[in-house]
Amino acid sequence: MAAKKTSVPPHHVMVIDTNRCVGCWTCAVACKQINNEPLGYWWNRVLTTAPNQSTTAKPPASYNIDVPSGTYPDLELAYLPVACQHCNDAPCVKVCPVQATFRRDDGTVLIDFNRCIGCRYCMAACPYGVRIFNWGDASYAPGGVIGYGKEYWTEDRLVFTPERPKGVVEKCTFCVERIDVGELPFCVEACPLGARIFGDLNDPDSQVSELVNDGGGEQLHPELGTNPNVYYLPVARRVPGES
Amino acid sequence: MATTTAAIPVRSTRAYRPIWGWYGALVLLMAWGLAAWIYELKYGLAATGMRDVVSWGMYIFTFAFFIGLSAGGLIMASSAEVFGIKALKPLSRLGVLSAAACVTVAALMIIPDLGQPFRVINIFIHPNWTSPLIWDILIITVYFLFSVLDLYVLQRHAIEPSRWRKRIRVLAYVGLPTAVLLHSITAWIFGLQIARSWWNTSLMAPLFVVSAILSGTALVTLLALCAQRWGKVELSEDTRRWLRGFIIVSLFVDLFFVGADYITVLWGNVPADRSALNLVMPGGPWAWLFWVEWIVGGVIPLAFLLIPRLKKMPGALGLASVLVIIGVYAFRIELVVIGFVNPLTQYPPGNALGTYNAQTTSFEFIGRYHPTWVEYGIIIGLVALFATLVTIGYRSLHVMEPSPAGGQHHQRAAVERKAGS
Repeated sequence: MAAKKTSVPPHHVMVIDTNRCVGCWTCAVACKQINNEPLGYWWNRVLTTAPNQSTTAKPPASYNIDVPSGTYPDLELAYLPVACQHCNDAPCVKVCPVQATFRRDDGTVLIDFNRCIGCRYCMAACPYGVRIFNWGDASYAPGGVIGYGKEYWTEDRLVFTPERPKGVVEKCTFCVERIDVGELPFCVEACPLGARIFGDLNDPDSQVSELVNDGGGEQLHPELGTNPNVYYLPVARRVPGES
Repeated sequence: MATTTAAIPVRSTRAYRPIWGWYGALVLLMAWGLAAWIYELKYGLAATGMRDVVSWGMYIFTFAFFIGLSAGGLIMASSAEVFGIKALKPLSRLGVLSAAACVTVAALMIIPDLGQPFRVINIFIHPNWTSPLIWDILIITVYFLFSVLDLYVLQRHAIEPSRWRKRIRVLAYVGLPTAVLLHSITAWIFGLQIARSWWNTSLMAPLFVVSAILSGTALVTLLALCAQRWGKVELSEDTRRWLRGFIIVSLFVDLFFVGADYITVLWGNVPADRSALNLVMPGGPWAWLFWVEWIVGGVIPLAFLLIPRLKKMPGALGLASVLVIIGVYAFRIELVVIGFVNPLTQYPPGNALGTYNAQTTSFEFIGRYHPTWVEYGIIIGLVALFATLVTIGYRSLHVMEPSPAGGQHHQRAAVERKAGS
């Protein structure tokens, strides 16, 4: 973490323990709160899956969430929280014609609200479908601005603003305004089950280093070579009674 | 240019009647398109049918379509020169004119698709050279400038054939690779993306080039037939034969490529690829694209181009051209839209839409896309702009007039060139 004094600059990663996730969507709602996300925007969402299925599996039996797969009594249910994967080799960074999407040295992929021309090429290029476009004047939940509530600039770029401008792309920022002052991303803090672990991969003693290096942390779509900074711990314990 | 056209001796023989009705209709349509764009600027892209799941729509597939249309003319004009196809030379200037007009319209088509159109300047201030889009903008600019230059040189050649002969040849040799690059880079906007397996095939660039030649030739054929109908210009039987040949060959190659891609997906049966193809195969929600592409734009035009009895019918070539263009447009829709409609992650609830609707959810699993009147309005306005550019260009540059060296009558010009140079 930023508070810890190391000579190496931090490399921020998030590890999500799918064993612990119960699909409550607290992270997704907390994300909406801290970032003042307008109605219909979801930077973070929780997919209903089966344990240890690849993301390119066959179409599901149901398009609704919380529906287990399999036939009774051999039912399986797991969850996969997905937000921006903050890829080290990010397709969105490669395709952005104006370098509005950029990767900071700590691994965080951010968007410059002031530079984006709204061509949405990054949305076409992202394999994870985590980008949100400001299609029109954003409508917010009643009650005024909530959450962080201020603009946030890093490397002279406007990477967060609570009042969304029309016609630009946005997405999860790893709560850059929080991690830069040594706090945790809000989804990590909000998860009631401690399924989200955040830290510095360059610090060999950090919990994330241990989980990524020895704990079997897996990336989404590793075959695409995007090398995300979000890792998932696969479901290790099977449901009792399953053959 | 004014002095150039004035110097064409045949001008006096063909005094164009003013066609204010035609221009009036086009201006009305363009005004309608402009109004739709102003409406879109006011309400944002929320005025379109696109949302976060299908985040590119009509503007992009029509853009790709017009880029393709621009091929025909230039490739035809260049190959007429490079491969010495005499019968196609009378269509050179018309072809290059249509290429210039198409690429102009295609470039303009991108503007209403941008969320922040007034920031396009960022493309020049902060270009990202790893983005295929930057290279596409570059090649579009080059192609546009090239086609204008080519038109100018062809125009001068029509007046003084001997002096401009060599420059035409040089331009033709530059023109072919430029056109191939334009379509390849446009194809790579999609084809290089690893995220969507529907796009991520090395077949994309060859497919774009061949469908560009197909639709572009069909467009020039249509324009030439219009010129014959309203401009009292004669197309020689030889010219028609070459046009027909171009369309037949490129249609066969086009369908072959698309079919080869289908076979690869069907046989491989990889779930993500297969679910995309299932959307367009008969029985899928987008199956109409399949029928338009293979029957309307494939089998029927081939029948009208190949079967002797149908081939001889008046209007067979024109009808085939129209159908082929419709088929290629369906291919463009299929290419762009299915890439988005097919879910990225096969897990519920899918992706967020980015707009709120109290009646339904904010998520979408299989994408949906219905263009709105704003999109239709802007597209129709830009098509009207294309018609305007071609009409004005046709009438002011006299692109179908034979060169003074070739005699007064068009058909004779073709014949004489065939015999002579």
